[in-house]
Amino acid sequence: MPENNKTIEYDALIIGGGIAGGEAALNLANVGYKVLIVEKDLSIGGKMILLSKVFPTLDCSACITTPKVSEIMRHPNITVFTSTQASNIIKKDDGTFEATITKQPRYVIAEDCTGCQLCEQACPVSVDDQFQYNLVGRKAAYIPFSIASPRIAAIDIANCTLCGACERACPTKCIDFTQTVETYSLKAKTVIIATGFQLFDPTLIPRYGYGKFKNVITAMQMERQLAPTRPFNTILRPSDGKMPDNIAYILCTGSRDKTVGNPICSQVCCMYSTKQAQLLMGALPMADITLYYLNIRAFGKGFNEFYAQAQAMGVQFTKGKVAKITEKENGNLLLRYEDINGGGVVKETEHDMVVLSVGILPNQGIAELFSNDELVLDPYNYIGQSDFLASPAQTSIKGVFVAGVASGPMDIPDSILSAGSASSDAANYIRHLNKKTVSV
Amino acid sequence: MKHKIGVYICHCGGNISDYVDVKRVAEEMAKIEGVEISVDTIFACADSSQKQIANDIKEKGIDGIVVASCSPKLHYPTFSSVAEHAGLNKYNYVHANIREQCSWAHSDNKPKATEKAIQIVKAAIARVKESEALETIEVDSQKIIAVIGAGVAGMRAADELADLGIKVYLIEREFFVGGRIAQLDYLCSTTETGKELVTRLYEKIMDNPNITLFTGAEVIEKKGSIGNFNLKVKITPRYIKNKCKKDELLKAIEVCPVEVLDEFNFGITKRKAIYKNFPSEYPQIPTIDSKNCTRCGECEKVCSSIDFSQKEEVLDLSVGSILVATGFDPYTPKENEFGWGIDNVVTLPQFRRIINMCDDKLVYNGKKIKHIAYIYCVGSRQVDGENKYCSRYCCTATLYTSILTKNKYKDVQSYHFTRGIRTYGKQEIVYDKSSRQGDIFLQSYEDEPPMIEQKKGKTIVKINDILTNKMELEVEADLVVLVTGIEPRKDTNISEVLKIPKGRDKFYNEIHMKLRPVETVIDGVTIAGACQGPKNIMESMNSALSAAAKSYSIVNKGKLNLPPIIAVVNKETCTWCNKCLDACPYDAISKISENGKDIAFVNESVCKGCGMCLPVCESDSLELLGYTNHEIENMIKALVD
Repeated sequence: MPENNKTIEYDALIIGGGIAGGEAALNLANVGYKVLIVEKDLSIGGKMILLSKVFPTLDCSACITTPKVSEIMRHPNITVFTSTQASNIIKKDDGTFEATITKQPRYVIAEDCTGCQLCEQACPVSVDDQFQYNLVGRKAAYIPFSIASPRIAAIDIANCTLCGACERACPTKCIDFTQTVETYSLKAKTVIIATGFQLFDPTLIPRYGYGKFKNVITAMQMERQLAPTRPFNTILRPSDGKMPDNIAYILCTGSRDKTVGNPICSQVCCMYSTKQAQLLMGALPMADITLYYLNIRAFGKGFNEFYAQAQAMGVQFTKGKVAKITEKENGNLLLRYEDINGGGVVKETEHDMVVLSVGILPNQGIAELFSNDELVLDPYNYIGQSDFLASPAQTSIKGVFVAGVASGPMDIPDSILSAGSASSDAANYIRHLNKKTVSV
Repeated sequence: MKHKIGVYICHCGGNISDYVDVKRVAEEMAKIEGVEISVDTIFACADSSQKQIANDIKEKGIDGIVVASCSPKLHYPTFSSVAEHAGLNKYNYVHANIREQCSWAHSDNKPKATEKAIQIVKAAIARVKESEALETIEVDSQKIIAVIGAGVAGMRAADELADLGIKVYLIEREFFVGGRIAQLDYLCSTTETGKELVTRLYEKIMDNPNITLFTGAEVIEKKGSIGNFNLKVKITPRYIKNKCKKDELLKAIEVCPVEVLDEFNFGITKRKAIYKNFPSEYPQIPTIDSKNCTRCGECEKVCSSIDFSQKEEVLDLSVGSILVATGFDPYTPKENEFGWGIDNVVTLPQFRRIINMCDDKLVYNGKKIKHIAYIYCVGSRQVDGENKYCSRYCCTATLYTSILTKNKYKDVQSYHFTRGIRTYGKQEIVYDKSSRQGDIFLQSYEDEPPMIEQKKGKTIVKINDILTNKMELEVEADLVVLVTGIEPRKDTNISEVLKIPKGRDKFYNEIHMKLRPVETVIDGVTIAGACQGPKNIMESMNSALSAAAKSYSIVNKGKLNLPPIIAVVNKETCTWCNKCLDACPYDAISKISENGKDIAFVNESVCKGCGMCLPVCESDSLELLGYTNHEIENMIKALVD
């Protein structure tokens, strides 16, 4: 085990091991730079690895993410620290950076764990599974999810009762409760922020009843039900485990909505909802699917065609904002909305399951990671782009670049392009630093 | 002959195992002679499974592996490198596709799907038994990149690459740089104008000795392959000396008697045959448009910089990679489409030029403009036409134009005839602003577009409006602005030369829409900006820099490793019948003389291993490494047995 407060040195620090951070890392590593990815979660792959299929190609998301993820893990120029965060990032006078890297203990010796899951079977504690968006439970000793990378166990110490069952079950004796927080002093030449996004918390809109009405779920929960590593192997509504046959989507939940403090459009919800509707038509051939929308934003390559395809398949698109949901005794839900296309009147329609197409929001606390220089945010708390026309990845701190959704809502290809842009600028920054050092 | 083979059958998390009995497949394979291990796994691509395969190779001395999972397009590289890292030659790994070619295709018949999977894997085992260890081919790569198109995307990519120490040929067909963005003034969400952005980028590329800019330059031929492309570039002269006298040139423009429609202003003004599009345009030398010049000689009389003796040249350029950033054309409406042809109906790009040319009063054709009707989705999202796609940039561009117009000429009123506003992401704020300034929004039904008609000299726009419950509304417009979308370049010369495949929307196709958006199936050729699909400036820049990163990674080492799956000639039996030469789509085959005998020669850095030459060979003297006759025959035998 590395001793505490060891000094480590890399060309680039990448904060966030999602698809954007990973792509940026690969671009830099492929041209010979040494890269450290710090990922706060137990696995890299970000949100993309948890998705079902991607729009508009309907590629299986796990199948196209895992080759990328294993390429990242395998690359000789890339080091990945999971359960790890960077802080106290200081820009030095010579243009390089220093940071504190804090690695939380996994309580499992990573090198020895084979991912056999015997600890998981032995563990008596059940809690909500955050990687399945709380649809099912998991143990306190657990493998994050079946295609996690690294696919090794971790102990959720907050919920662990220290009963020792996992220790006894582990055939390689890799459970280690003596592990403590490890800190490193990092020197790096450039920093790329690829911290992604969080999903809007729909309990902030009480009139939709999320958390209160069982059959109101979020789109990410539906995404998990449709994924190859899905928890139920079919689509179920939570209240009674029935297969739903009349599903409603409420678009712009938490987006384009000043009352919840997010006036902008989340850019992906129209398409992911349209995609889910198409997948549901396959999974539940008899079900009716209705999307309640304000405007369908099918703007990207192949999107409008994909939207037309959903319409042709029989997905119902109803223009109107849902004002309120009420729950019936049988768990069905009544949606009250203005039917703009159908006479402009207020209507009530019954559905047996409602999916909230929640928007995306920036992750908080990124600016606070920087100690001496100010990392400027935009009015919506995304990382500000100081030259967004010519160098979209450039932030207010020279040498710090932003990739993916950390700079604003975007879909996967746009995240890949933004990561490419960040890596290009970062490579240039390193090269100029190196030149300077040589000339001195 | 391999006799310790590892076979791994993937469930693909149900994608395969829901239809194929993978356990049975694994059991059947275990019975085959030479198979050491045969197991099933939930996700063969998962890290732990990869580790397992590597361990088997190292610890059990496995000398060949078969992975039966999804399409090799997805995971061939994954398992190749597992093999390589574990010390097994990666050509001793054979992939069997039992998902796309089996479970997905036969989800209606599980027992037969399982039988088919067994056959597929059996054949793969037969092939791996005969597989040979092959070494990659190393070729030198030119550390030079050609960037085609000097719009903002091309210029930015060139600048980035040059900064990374790469020599760049920046090839622009027009005589001036900046592409479509040079035609724009104020840009959305910034204080910078299009011209200023172009100037900023131009100054940087001129400042960098690594960049050579060619204007009036067209790529007319491409030969060679990744690492070593040979381009022929035709340079059309400007007919003006490089060291020119500015005052005299201004006079020359003045005296030129030829007037043609000015494409830069989308035909709303005229220009001379000797011209510059705007005073600060780059390069700062005018050009003579040889198509329209009558050679009357008037300009020569007043200007000593004119030089009609300049000749067309063809340059040969060698480059390691080609970055294509050829941009787009704005859609041109068809006759009568939304009133096109009526004198106060213009396109959005024309309107942007009109605002640019009008100072304190908005006047067009001598008439003051107060009521402006914007018709959205002209040439995009067509119900009947070919363009089914959304042009992405236009909603925001139009709303921004409306805000600009309102700011500049206070008394205008804008009416937006939309099909649902698509101001995605932060651009939503532009929508909000235009709503707040009092713009009026109407929305038409998909199959009932707004109608534009002339009544007693007035232009009326009629709509069945969704937003007011199908009310039929009319707006009398002083000016109708058709919000024309983005189309692929009409000039398809470059795409024919480079042979980049196009999608249904006629934009260039990337390798993978989600994860590899700037690479193409032509190795070494990357695409950036709007030639791949509609984009705004920021998105184009991101794609330009991504393409730069990919092109850079191809050339930066000066060496490339190419796959050894290539055709080889049996010198003994080859009789040079010529057939392979015609069959090869990559010009990889040529005739050489050896020991007084003409035989075929395969250029290993150009050969792609497509196998087209094999079946036409009369003397059966060609073999494809990795797919030798012996391997294929063994596969067939396994299937027949």
